[in-house]
Parts: sequence; structure tokens; C-alpha cells
Amino acid sequence: MQEMTTEEWSRKVKEGDRRAVAKLISAIERKEKIAREVLKLLYKPVGKTVTVGVTGSAGSGKSCLVSCLITAFRKRGKTVGVVAVDPSSPFTGGAFLADRLRMQAHGRDKGVYMRSMASRGYLGGIARGTVDVMRVIEAMGSDVVIVETVGTGQDEVEVARLVQTCIVVLTPNMGDDIQAMKAGIMEIAQVVVLNKSDMPGKEKALLDVEIALKMRSAPEDGWYVPIVLTVATEEKGIDKLLEQIEKHQSHLRKCVGLRKFAFRKAEKEGSVLVKDEIERIIFDHLKGTGLRRKYLDRIVDGEIDPYTAVEEVLSLFFKKSSKEG
Amino acid sequence: MNKIKENKDRKIKVLVSKVGLDGHDRGAKVICSLLKEAGMEVIYLGMYQMPKDVIDAAIDEDVDVIGPSFLSGEHLVYTPIIVEEMKKAGLDDVLLVVGGVIPVEDISTLKKMGVDEVFTAGSLTAPIIQYIKENIRR
Amino acid sequence: MKVTEKAEAAVQEKTVDWDKYLAAYYEKPKSSLTWSGLEVKEVYTPADLPPEKYRDMGDPGQYPYTRGIHRNMFRGRYWTRREVIGMGSPKDTHDRSKLLVDEGGSGLNTIADIPYEMGLDADHPWAQNEVGLTGVCITNMYDMETLTADIPLDKVSWSLITASTASVVTMAQYAAVAKKRGYDLKKLRGTVQNDPVHFRYCGFRPACPLDLSVKLGADVMEYCTKEMPLWYYTTVNLYDLREQGVTAPQEVAFGFLIARLYIDELIRRGYKVDDFAQRFAFYVSCHIDIFEEVSKIRAARRIWAKLMKEHYGAQKASSQQFRFAVHTAGCSLVPQQPLNNIVRIAYQALAAVLGGVQSLHCTSYDEPVCLPTENGHTQALRTQQILAYETGVTNVADPLGGSYYIENLTNQLEEEIYKVMAEVEKVGGMYEAIRTEWLDRVFENEALARQKEIDERDKILVGVNMFVTEQETETPLGVQRISKESVRQQIEMVKKLKKERNSTVWKEKILALKAAAERRENVIPYMIEATEVGATTGEMMGAVRLAFGYPYDPIEIIEAPF
Repeated sequence: MQEMTTEEWSRKVKEGDRRAVAKLISAIERKEKIAREVLKLLYKPVGKTVTVGVTGSAGSGKSCLVSCLITAFRKRGKTVGVVAVDPSSPFTGGAFLADRLRMQAHGRDKGVYMRSMASRGYLGGIARGTVDVMRVIEAMGSDVVIVETVGTGQDEVEVARLVQTCIVVLTPNMGDDIQAMKAGIMEIAQVVVLNKSDMPGKEKALLDVEIALKMRSAPEDGWYVPIVLTVATEEKGIDKLLEQIEKHQSHLRKCVGLRKFAFRKAEKEGSVLVKDEIERIIFDHLKGTGLRRKYLDRIVDGEIDPYTAVEEVLSLFFKKSSKEG
Repeated sequence: MNKIKENKDRKIKVLVSKVGLDGHDRGAKVICSLLKEAGMEVIYLGMYQMPKDVIDAAIDEDVDVIGPSFLSGEHLVYTPIIVEEMKKAGLDDVLLVVGGVIPVEDISTLKKMGVDEVFTAGSLTAPIIQYIKENIRR
Repeated sequence: MKVTEKAEAAVQEKTVDWDKYLAAYYEKPKSSLTWSGLEVKEVYTPADLPPEKYRDMGDPGQYPYTRGIHRNMFRGRYWTRREVIGMGSPKDTHDRSKLLVDEGGSGLNTIADIPYEMGLDADHPWAQNEVGLTGVCITNMYDMETLTADIPLDKVSWSLITASTASVVTMAQYAAVAKKRGYDLKKLRGTVQNDPVHFRYCGFRPACPLDLSVKLGADVMEYCTKEMPLWYYTTVNLYDLREQGVTAPQEVAFGFLIARLYIDELIRRGYKVDDFAQRFAFYVSCHIDIFEEVSKIRAARRIWAKLMKEHYGAQKASSQQFRFAVHTAGCSLVPQQPLNNIVRIAYQALAAVLGGVQSLHCTSYDEPVCLPTENGHTQALRTQQILAYETGVTNVADPLGGSYYIENLTNQLEEEIYKVMAEVEKVGGMYEAIRTEWLDRVFENEALARQKEIDERDKILVGVNMFVTEQETETPLGVQRISKESVRQQIEMVKKLKKERNSTVWKEKILALKAAAERRENVIPYMIEATEVGATTGEMMGAVRLAFGYPYDPIEIIEAPF
């Protein structure tokens, strides 16, 4: 792949060449410079592609649900790309990526592309390059992109900024956890799924969810979050879920929600890209000068405070603007 | 090899899979945990995979190592098919490491077929990890 | 090289590390725990075994059977020397079975291969690569006839190891052949493993959905209770559970809870426990910690007796007795220095016999390498024969009974087993533990723990993490290969059968089977009729699966031909 030009690479991706896609995603994960050059060529403004996020704690049956959704989308004739994120061990840095195991049924379907990603310490339920990977999958021609998050359930809110329709998956035996999760997760859901709804405790869980939803801030753009009951292992409730996803998509696109969503996404992404880029430039330039080490030592020894240190370093790169006092 | 140590964003990706009807997966699952503890990213494909399924997944996930597990005497049947599929897909830089119940006589046969290394039942963990880290070709 | 230089070099090569030798002389064991991690005292004395404890033990042959189910134990009858055999075509297996009978085996024991256990025919696209590799594939009645040819079914006790839902097919095929040869089914002796629930953990989940497993498992039990009263219709398989890496208490606890699923189902169908429980049997592992294994067996007997009497209200002694066969632990063997395995197996067989086993299969030393060769099989049989005829352990029932250590360890294991059962109750019972995959997690955690113990030398495995030598270049006494030709012929015969049978009659019988399954009747009588007109394993299992809403083919590659 290194012998290809960025144009060739981007062309291959757009043609749906799986190897080119897979290699590009690897390059993104490794933060290789060439990845960015290809991504430049692949960028398309938000369009027909449907992006769906599925989040919820481990044991909620997310993977099974995603597998059912893939089947449902495929029945509608859509091609699907899936990014499944699993947690990296904070101690060893390794990861056990077991999502393909739950989605075995789709392994042979050429209309489905699956990629497992390790979070590599990135917080918020996804991996660092997830937005880029979604872009690649979209460019390769997938009609639907599904992002399945890590699965701790408490703080998996990052995905909401990346996807148009965010699904939160709960189960009846979560009990008090539903209350605990109100804070972050309920705020981001466009559709709430109560999976394993054949388990005892369903009624109470349903009530808890309804209360939690009422307590969130006013519905965005008039979208009232539906609750869908499913039993993913028996493929029950999936059609209803798909229905709600399609309803939300239609709502988003008709009520100028799509542009707003895209705007916020671009805003967030722009901010991250700018920060990353500046950080990269600065530290690239500091490499070999010994300055980084010098400043760190001085901070630790108490010779200088961190704030002044940063100002001094930055002044090497930026002229002081007249605004700064 | 040094490339991997320097760049913390460069993780070794391993695909572990059962092939054919055999369902003895205790060893395969243990290996997944051990490789994860050694800092690698492991994809477990599960059971009832045909060689082509394994290679297709290896391509999509862009793995560094393919690790089929054989515990029912089927290694001589499926290995040549796996090697053939890898060649067809141009995966010459991917390591092929076989595990399971393999008579010593068959180890050299497998290597002649194109397998890079064989780790039978009763192997200790450290040599497996060391072998992979030292022999990654990408 | 000059002569003196050569001699010097030779002497230098043979230098002994005398410090290491001294250390070995004074060496102490690193661990004093049992294999399953139980703490035991340095020495046990009469104070550890007060006389009142004897009430809880009973004599051999006396409730709660801690000391054995027969008063005279082996003086009454040796345990059955039943080496497991299954390889290649039915004819290959038949021939090896007869060989071992000639060599002194006293019971036939046939194991199914993976395609058969999956419920696939030999000509299934996925099966063709794997027929005969790990057992025998019986696709139809004629395969069963070949397997049993010229063997007097009314004289031999035949153990058929089909564990999955395909056990119903095995019973149907065996019964059909026996009927054809004019035997009275009521007089046939033997065993079918029939434990589909546990088989989910041996890689057969597609063939053994939980509800179908309980249903078909109970069908076999019901059919045998009514039509083949001398037949042991299950050997609930604790062995495979142990092979996952779990401890001795877990082995018994999980196994007993699975057994209860079948018993509860039969009771639900209206049977009284004393109607059927006398043919309930178990398949148990014997691992390398000799005393722990003996104590485990004794504890199991006591627990089972109490369970049957107190929980199920069994009155008959035969309903309360824990009957078991032993398969020595495959997972304790390693391919390094394979002949060491003969020693391991011998110790494990000793534990089985000291524990009072009814039927014993000794693994062959080449188990971690391949299917047993003739030599491997014979060697395993000899292990049993030396134990039976030379060592004198058969002279006395429960020879370790009354030992301060053994009685205490038995009690300890009993407590631990109950603890594990309580854990399962906490997650909602065995059915839930299986359904929610709680049990899978236990197996995964234990397997990982066992590997780490070896890596970190918390457990020693000679030849693996101590006393390691260069890797062998060949397996002693050879490697068993399966004849591709005989397998190919079997596949051809299956294809031929499908073409040449009377398809009208066949279709009628297959659809009758499917309808019966839909009505939730016992499927075996219908399977017997279907197999008599040439229906195959895959077709019959497929018909039942469809009736329960599952895909015809567990691998979902082929469609129903009807």
C-alpha cells in the first residue's frame, strides 16, 4: 500500500476495495501522516449515509442487537459498515476484540464490512480515530454506518457527537443503574431500547426509563425519544427499532436537524483537529532540542510554574497579539 | 521489530479462529487472553469458520498474525487450504501460527506447507509471545 | 582433535552442577494444597475422625453409599475394562473393537465423531473433511449394522458415546438393528451417553439448543425406561466439564445440577423417580491428585444419595446409588515426553479403582497427540489389567475408608461442592446459569487460571515447566492416521443409499417423525421406523429441529430434502 499514491488509494477505497479500506484504517490507527492525506480526498459533506450509534453497558446485548439491525438493513437492500469498539486493558495495552463473534452470521455477506477497534485508552466509549474510520466506511459506499461503543455504560457519550441517530440499550436487570446513568447517557439518546425485555422487572425498568427521559432537557427539535422493547436473541422488536431509526432519520433530515448536527460535528471535530495539529507541530519542533525535558525538569524542581512554562514555549511559535495584555 | 516498540500506536493484531466443525475452544480462548495480556489486540472469530472466512476476516481487520486452532486431527486437511487462500489474497507478510493437538511428525509437514510456527497443547505462554513479537513481518 | 583434547572435552561436557544436586536433596514441595486448591493438614489423627462420624458414612452398600454402592465391590465383579474406540468408518471401528476384546477388554465402548454428534450425514459438505477423525460416523442403519456385525448384542454390554441430541438417533439406529436381528430389546444391556446439555460446552452448541437438549435427552430416558429397562440411558458427563479446567468440586456440582434438569423434566412428564432412576449413571474424570479424586467420588456418592432420597423422595436403593464410569483426565496429559502419560494414567486409574468405579476407560498415552494407535489402546488396557490382576487393590471394598485423611477430605469436598451449587442457585439456577452464559465465563476463567499456574510454576507439569528436554522428533509407537479410503467409501455408500431407497416410503416416515415432534411426542419410535426405510441421521435430526423452529442444518449450509 505504501507504493500507492494518495489518489490511487482514495480511488480504491471509493471503489470498495476491502484491502485498501482495511489498510487505510490501520494507517489511521497508527496515526500515519499518509492517512490524513487520503482522508482529505475522501471527505464528503453529510449526505445520504445513515449513521447510527449503539451504546449501553456490557451485558446489555448490544452486539446481538447490532447483528439483528444489520440483518434488517440488509433486507432493505442497504449495505452496512460496522465499527465495533472494545476496551483496551489499561495495564497491558492489549485488547480482546470479540464483536465479530456475535456477528458471525454476517461474515460471508459482501454487503457488510466489519472492523473491530480497541479503544487504546481513549475515553468516552469509542477509539480516537473512530470519526475518521466512519468517514472511510462511508467513502467505500456503505449506505449505513453503525458504531458500537465499548460498553461500560456510564460515560459513553462521545459517540453521540459522531452519529446522527444514537441508540441507548438498557436491560431490565439494571435496576438502580438506570438512575445512575441518567446523567450522561439519557441525554444523548434518540432511541432507547429495552433489550432482554422478556426478563422479569420489565415493567419497573420501563417506568424508570420513562421517568429518566422526562427529566432530561426539552426534546431537541421536537423529537420525542421512543422506547422500543426488544429480545435481540429472538430477533423480536427489531422491525419496530428500525422503524424508529427511520423515523428519526426522516425527522432529522426534514427539520433542518441534519445541518445542525453536521455543524456541531464539524465544530467538535475542528476543535479536536486543531488541538491535535498544534500539539503535533509544537512537539515535532521541540524534538531534539532538549527543551521539553528542560522545562519539565524546571517545573518539577519548582523553578517555574506550568502556566508560565507553556507561555514561554508558545511564544517561540506565536507572536504576541496586541489583544493579550 | 523496533518499529513496534517505539510507536505505541502500532499494536500487534492477531486473528484467532477455529476451523471446520471442531469445537474444542478452551485453548483458543486462553490464548486470546494471554495475547491480550501481552499487549496485543486479538480478534476471536469463533467456531465453524472455513479457511476463506478466516482470510476474509484477516483482510478486513488487517491483522499481523493468523492463528488457527486444531484439536481434532483436521490440521492436515485445512492447512493447505488456508495457505492457498492466503497466497491468493496476497497475505505473504502475515504470520501463520498454528496451535492445538498436532503430532510432532506433522510439525515439519505443516511448515513445508507454509506454516511459520506450530505451538502444540502443553506449550508455555512466554515462547509463544516471544515468537510473535520477534517474527512479525510488517 | 588430539586424543587428550577429546577426552578433556568429553569430561567437561559431563560436568554436574553439585550445588543443584544438593538443593534437590534438600528440596521440599512448594505447595501443600490439593489440585483443586483445598488446604489440608500435615497429618490427620484419630482426633480428626471421632466415632460418631461413621454414621454419616455407612458401610459399603449402605445408604448414603459413601463407601461404595456394593458391599463386596470388586470381589463381586471387576470394573468393566471399557476402552473407548472410534475411528474412521464403521468397519474400522468394528475391527479395532474386536481386537481389544481379544486383548482382554470386557466391555465395548464406541464414540461418535464430530459430524455424527452434530447430527450431520457423512456426505454433508462440511462433514466430508472430518468424517472418522475423532470417532465413528453412523449415518444410517446399515452403518450401525456394520459396526455391530457378528457381535452378540444380547451377550455384550455396549456403551455408545453419543452425547448430543443425536443420542435419540443412536438409540433408534441401535434398536432398529437389534430388532432386525431378532433380539428382545428388553434384554439388551448397554449405555448411551445422552447428555446434550453438557455437550454445548464441547463445541456442539448449534446441535444442542438448550430446550431441545432437555427434551431429546428426556426422550431417550423415557424410551429406555419403557422399552429397554436394562439399558443405562444416560451417563451424565462430568468428565467434559472437568476438561474445561474446573476444579473437582465444580466438576461434581455442575454435573449434578445438569443431571437434575433431566430428572425434573421426567418428573414433569409424570414419571416417579423410582420408575426410572435406577438406570441413571455418570461419567466422571479422574485427575492426578489421587486422594482428592477418591474423596471427590466418595463425596459425590453421599451427595447424590441424599439428593435422591431427601429431595426427590426416592425409596429404592438403586435409585439412590451413584453409579459411574471413569475416563482418566485427558487434560492432565501433555505431548512432551509422551511416555510419562502412561504413568499419569496409571495413577488416575488407581484413584478410580480406589474410589469404587463401575467401568473404566484409561486414556492412551498418545491422547494429546492423536487418536489411539493399536499399541496405545492396548497399553491402556494393560494398565487396567495390571491394576486389576497384580496390585491387590481389588481385595477390599473402599480400602481407604476410615483413613483420617480421606474421611476428612471427603467431608471437605462435600462442603465445597455444596458451596458451588449455592453459587449457581444465586444466579438463578442451572438453566439460567447456562442460558445467560454464566457457566461459559466460569470455564473461561478457570482455563486461564490453569494456564497461568503452569506458566508461573504454581503447578508442576513434568516435561513442560520442569525437567524439560528437547522436543521429540517422533511420537513413540507411531501416530494413528485415519484411512482416507475407507472414509471415502463410507461417503459414497451414503450417497448411494440416498439415491436407491424407496423415496415415497422414506418421505412418509420422515414427515411422520416431524409431525410427532411437532406434537411433542417421544421421537424415538418414529425414528426407528424412519431409519428402517433408509432415513439418515441428518434427515431425522433435521426433521425434529424444524419441528422446534430451528434450521434444518445446524451449520445452516444445506436445506431440507423434504
